[in-house]
Amino acid sequence: MTRGDVLLRNVTTFILVVLFLLPGCVSPDTSIEENDTEVVSLVVWHSFATESKELAAFESQIDQFMASNPGVEVETSAIPYSEAARQFRIAAQGDEAPDLVRLSSDQLGEIGEVRVGGYPLLQDLRPHLTPLERSKFDDRALNAMRYDGDLLGIPASQDCLSLIYNPVLFDAAGIDYPSEDWTLDDMVYAASQLTQGDVYGLAMPVKNAYWWFGFQAGYGGSLFDENGTPTLDSNGSAEAMNWMIDLELTHGVVQTGTQSESMKTQFLGSKAAMVVDGPWNWATYEAGRIPLQQSILPIVDSTGERVSPLVTYKGWSVSKQSTQKEWSVRLALHLSSSDSQREFALETYTMPTHVDVYIDPEVTENSVISGFLEQLMVGTPAPTTEAMSKVYDPLVTAFENVYSGELDAATALVSADAALESDLEGSG
Amino acid sequence: MKRLLLLLLCPLLFGIVSAGSVNQIVLDGSVGYRQVDIEMAFSEPSTNGTHYEIMMNDSEFSRTDESILHSIIIVGETTGLMQPEIGEWYDDCHYDPGDGVFVPIYRESDGTAVIPNGTLSVGCTLTGIPSGQEYYFAVLTIYPNNTEVLSSVIASSSTAEDELAEPLKTSPYLFAIGSISLSLIALLFGLRWLDYRDGRTSSKGAHLYIAPALLSLAVLTFYPVIYGIWLALTNADQSQLGEHVFVGIENFVTVFSTSGFLRVTGFTLLWTLVNVVSHIGLGLLLAIALNKHGLRGKTVYRTMLLLPWAIPSYITVLVWRGMFEPAGAINDLLGTDLNLLADANGARFAVIMVNIWLGIPFMMMSISGALQALPKEMYEAAEVDGIGNFSQFRHLTLPNLRSALVPLSLLGFIWTFNMFNVIYLMTDGGPNLDFDGPGSTDILITYVYDVAFRDGAYGVAAAWSVVIFAMLVVFSWTYMKRTNATEAVT
Repeated sequence: MTRGDVLLRNVTTFILVVLFLLPGCVSPDTSIEENDTEVVSLVVWHSFATESKELAAFESQIDQFMASNPGVEVETSAIPYSEAARQFRIAAQGDEAPDLVRLSSDQLGEIGEVRVGGYPLLQDLRPHLTPLERSKFDDRALNAMRYDGDLLGIPASQDCLSLIYNPVLFDAAGIDYPSEDWTLDDMVYAASQLTQGDVYGLAMPVKNAYWWFGFQAGYGGSLFDENGTPTLDSNGSAEAMNWMIDLELTHGVVQTGTQSESMKTQFLGSKAAMVVDGPWNWATYEAGRIPLQQSILPIVDSTGERVSPLVTYKGWSVSKQSTQKEWSVRLALHLSSSDSQREFALETYTMPTHVDVYIDPEVTENSVISGFLEQLMVGTPAPTTEAMSKVYDPLVTAFENVYSGELDAATALVSADAALESDLEGSG
Repeated sequence: MKRLLLLLLCPLLFGIVSAGSVNQIVLDGSVGYRQVDIEMAFSEPSTNGTHYEIMMNDSEFSRTDESILHSIIIVGETTGLMQPEIGEWYDDCHYDPGDGVFVPIYRESDGTAVIPNGTLSVGCTLTGIPSGQEYYFAVLTIYPNNTEVLSSVIASSSTAEDELAEPLKTSPYLFAIGSISLSLIALLFGLRWLDYRDGRTSSKGAHLYIAPALLSLAVLTFYPVIYGIWLALTNADQSQLGEHVFVGIENFVTVFSTSGFLRVTGFTLLWTLVNVVSHIGLGLLLAIALNKHGLRGKTVYRTMLLLPWAIPSYITVLVWRGMFEPAGAINDLLGTDLNLLADANGARFAVIMVNIWLGIPFMMMSISGALQALPKEMYEAAEVDGIGNFSQFRHLTLPNLRSALVPLSLLGFIWTFNMFNVIYLMTDGGPNLDFDGPGSTDILITYVYDVAFRDGAYGVAAAWSVVIFAMLVVFSWTYMKRTNATEAVT
């Protein structure tokens, strides 16, 4: 071995030793830095559709929150809206619940009674908010987030059905556009005039209880009395059910078997002149490049009352199992803040619950948002109760029976009411 | 016992006491998580038009512009206002009207707290106070003439801890699995010892070889079955998970008294029989046709007939559902306006038809394999003897296929009896024409799903599962005894 080889070997060994020791010298400082900034991790479940404007707005808000709170990392996961309550319940049973979850008021009613190991699934947020923070939200929205007295969510949006129509089809048939003084008879007449060939006057799932609620209220009925006792068979309920089913079976202004998805397809394909639908589908219709206008739902001729669709609310709820409740509440408040709700309203037609957004000039000048807000103000807030979450099953049966001619509407609703009461007694 | 931490029981007499202003504040930070109780007494009975604003900050302050407003209480007319009971509103407030007995405060429609003229003191639970952090509070009295008096500033902190939900205890489940596993190990050792005692040395190691399989079975099969039976005897429910108690046969009584029990059981049997008979009958027919000597394009036919099996079943089912819709392909083809899935019998026909479609390829392929194994000489001899095709089928093919058909039919019965996805995806058990019972196309397994995951009645669903399990065990046992199925296979 030459002297050069020995020198090279020694230099190489020295470099390797230095490289080996260097990280050891540096690491203490790094670890101190890491310890100094404790990272808070939050897991959030939302139900915004992939690649939707809602998801983009939501992600923008999450980014803003993380930027203004550098020590907080937020991990988001999408779950199907209709499955949110069930999946949250299952996750909570396995001690895997997210810190924050987006739930609707009827889903709060669905899981409000659920206990895991004696604990409720959601945190009561009443101690987290000051009266001034609460006062920023519409009373009805805040109240809808309450279950059995507890405040289980911070309301971020609300929605209900309204009347959307295609003005071009109206023009082609020479029919006047829907107006505020329209009655149901006017609507059926217009729909019959607009039904030509494979184009129907109206698209609406006539066997769907959610659509029925508004007409039931317009006919003078109610789902529950002031004590929360089911009144599915209250005065006017059967008339409302008959009116809806007749649209398809008698008047033929709704295509046979129309469901909520096919309703959307029909309207998007200009195969229906009117659709009873909510603001959540407005962006889809707009993207479909069809002419669109919105009007408030009509007045019932026999009662003089306006159709009053069910208003449901969605908000952010904190898991009882969360170990980061204070940060979760801060994030919930951020996602429900006036800035966030304004962005959602203007970008996605998500109806706000923040009172400051109601009077925001950009919002009030937007005819679509203000039109839907007008509809919301005459809607009926859905009660956040276990009974409300159980109301659909017996009504599905009632509608099936009436549609198939097995029972008349009055009898079917009496049976549905009895079935609901029995179900509630069983669970109580 | 609750601790009263940082209780600031320091009655403060202000230097200058104005009429009706706050002259005494008591704070209690131990009342609840993120809450502080405030009790304030007025120097004189309150008068209409006076406002009390509760101010706070995380540092000491002497002026209102150095603090933030927490809440407002106004003195005014209370007629017609709501008066929520303690616990009903978002935060609780009560007042002393003068007789020393506190009553709940009044609320305006926007929630603003209102006390009547003449009130002597007010108590409120202040919410939204960060936990474990000292906060400073004061009350600003604003008189009708807009003069303001700020009370002394005193500090408190919310000391109550957040209540964290405890996860369910998994130790009983682990204990049960461990017990079953240890029992099996003990059993294997016992059997090994018996073999050793009886001199059966050839079995040396055999018990060891089967031990992993038995342990897996114990954890994945025996334990769930035993747990399911136990659950069927409890009141397990989504609203009280982890707290269920033994209720005897109550759940079985519920099962047998369900209004549609006989109907759903009857349809399950009809569904199973029609499907199995059709699967085997049509599968046999197609297998024989494809086994025909000299048939051209056998491979193409076989591939085509296998397609329904090769495509994921949920896709096939959803395609069929779309075709059965009123605006679907079937109505277009027939020129009709049928809504089969909305009619009870129409929906039953549709789901059975779709499942027949899905099940034929498997039976066809299985029977094809068995047919090809039959000796050709047997058929050649029959032809020489002048025996016709039907007689050959009846007296040669069928008896020789028995060893394949018996286990296939048993398998088909069990599979179809528990076939969930076709009905779930096609009709979801509907149309629902019976209140509080199974839908028109529900079979036992789809109805159990509803009971478990829609109604959340885990105990009752477990009882239904035990009933289904018992039905299948009884059927399988009887079928095997009657047909000598196991002998036929061997």
